[in-house]
Amino acid sequence: MKYWCNILFLCFLLACSSDGESPMGTTDDDYTEIPEEVNNLLNFEVPSNFPDLTYPVTQNPPTEKGFELGKRLFYDGKLASDGVISCGFCHIQAFSFTHHTHITSHGVDGKIGKRNAQPLQNLAFMVDFTWDGAASFLDAQPIIPLTAEDEMNESITNVLLKLQEDERYPDMFNAAFGSDGVTSERLFKALSQFMVMMVAGNSKYDKWQRGEAVTLTSEEDEGRLLFDSKCASCHSGPLQTDQSYRNNGLAVDPIFNDIGRERVTGLPEDNRKFKVPSLRNIETTSPYMHDGRIPTLSDVLDFYTDGMVDSPTLDDQFRRVDGTFGLDITADEKSKLLAFLKTLTDNDFLNDRRFAEF
Amino acid sequence: MKKIVALLLITTSLFGCGNDDQDDATKTSGSLELNFIHTVGSEGLELGNTYQNTSSESYTINELKYIISNITLTRKNGTEFIYPVAESYFLINEAQIDSKKIILNDIDPDEYTKITFGFGIDPTKYPIESGTLNFVPTAEEAGMLWSWSAGYKFIKLEGTFTSATVIAEKPFLFHVGSHGATLDNYKEIELSLVSDTGMNTTIEGSVNAVQSVFFNLGQVFDGPNTIRIEDKTDIQVDPVNAPKIAQNIQTAFYIPQG
Repeated sequence: MKYWCNILFLCFLLACSSDGESPMGTTDDDYTEIPEEVNNLLNFEVPSNFPDLTYPVTQNPPTEKGFELGKRLFYDGKLASDGVISCGFCHIQAFSFTHHTHITSHGVDGKIGKRNAQPLQNLAFMVDFTWDGAASFLDAQPIIPLTAEDEMNESITNVLLKLQEDERYPDMFNAAFGSDGVTSERLFKALSQFMVMMVAGNSKYDKWQRGEAVTLTSEEDEGRLLFDSKCASCHSGPLQTDQSYRNNGLAVDPIFNDIGRERVTGLPEDNRKFKVPSLRNIETTSPYMHDGRIPTLSDVLDFYTDGMVDSPTLDDQFRRVDGTFGLDITADEKSKLLAFLKTLTDNDFLNDRRFAEF
Repeated sequence: MKKIVALLLITTSLFGCGNDDQDDATKTSGSLELNFIHTVGSEGLELGNTYQNTSSESYTINELKYIISNITLTRKNGTEFIYPVAESYFLINEAQIDSKKIILNDIDPDEYTKITFGFGIDPTKYPIESGTLNFVPTAEEAGMLWSWSAGYKFIKLEGTFTSATVIAEKPFLFHVGSHGATLDNYKEIELSLVSDTGMNTTIEGSVNAVQSVFFNLGQVFDGPNTIRIEDKTDIQVDPVNAPKIAQNIQTAFYIPQG
């Protein structure tokens, strides 16, 4: 019987240490000692009202050490060519990890990007990433901001060199993934572990969906019904996105002339289409749209009623029978919609110390 | 505890012997050296030399790089030896002699009838399962990544051309890869390892197996699809032409049977 206990204990330790190395000592006397390399799995919970996971969490399960490493990488300017611009520079937690007040994101040497930094939340439920879907996998997404000239402007090779020469990183990589040190796969996996844990599923609306003890005010509830009838054909499901790419009638910005999804697919029918964004925490992610051209949520609703321009790829849902474009929403309905949109704010997530830079 | 260990050892050794006949059990694992040879038709490719395609265009190739991955060898009994996927990514560069020789080690001793490899990176296994993310620095240094898109260029083929209407030399550039989830240009290439006299390729410790793999670049222009350079000199994110080039490339590799 004693042998079985030993074996069970060994299995338990192995399960917790991602490097798969056998911990030292399996005699009774060693039971109280916790070996240093133990790296506990984090509790990754999917809210019951959420859609299916898209990220293969079982293949890269978030662990204490992996998360810690990912967090340090996320907030470390060392990853950029100028040693200053970290991921967290443009993705600020209080604003649902967007670059608040910045119309488009900023990069090294004062360079200005052409797109509005997207919120980082519920990424484990997204089909693909960035406004045009240029990354199909969360693990590969960081290649884009790390290497783009107007973002972090660094080569992956150089990032790895800097991390290898760092005092702490090699040990942190070993603690998270085992003894083989700093590799690009581990770099991306650690970043994913940090980002996968960013689940924003505790807004008033989430709680209402789960039947928890919250009540929507009559204004919020009317707003919800309006949202369902006027917005939810694209902003569908519990995360308010069908994850499709659509042209919502924004006039072409002559400076950027952003062709959107067409850059990824090469298809003319994808010209000027952008991903339908999730609206979780939308109250906090100003400015709005792929290029940050709209400053407030109220302005966004005004745009949808009166601001659209026609183009060959404009989504048909915005075409009115009289040949004009836009949605029909009254001023009263707009205020109710705004009340509903604010129920999508998850303050627990925005203030979650686990993700905080300091 | 000792009993358990003993039992495990016995079981393991039984399984170990069960699969192989006595003869194979004494052989040790071997290596296979693959030499990639680039040609245009029957000529060896020289960067900077001029070649003709069937669209009456004269072209020179100045840069040729591509990615090979997911190597599998088929045994004479039909079972497969899958080369460790994480170690199966190779960047081949015409300008770098070393890169054109791939040595695969620790292959099960056996007779093999077929080799299969991927052209590019399989997006369905990308990125976690296959260890492909560790190939990022190599690909990046060779300019085989797009900076705006998180994906690999499977081939970088650049040069110049002239035609009946393009009198002055003009550059062309073909970069084919997979983009997002919609445009997949990964191709699997299967080649026979059986000679025309019916001999399989033997790989084992005492035999240094060497195999030449030819890539006929002429086929890029004149494969199942005809690619006239003049029609589109810059083929990158191109849902029409990039898949055609990938299909052509799939037919462009061969092992001469002899």
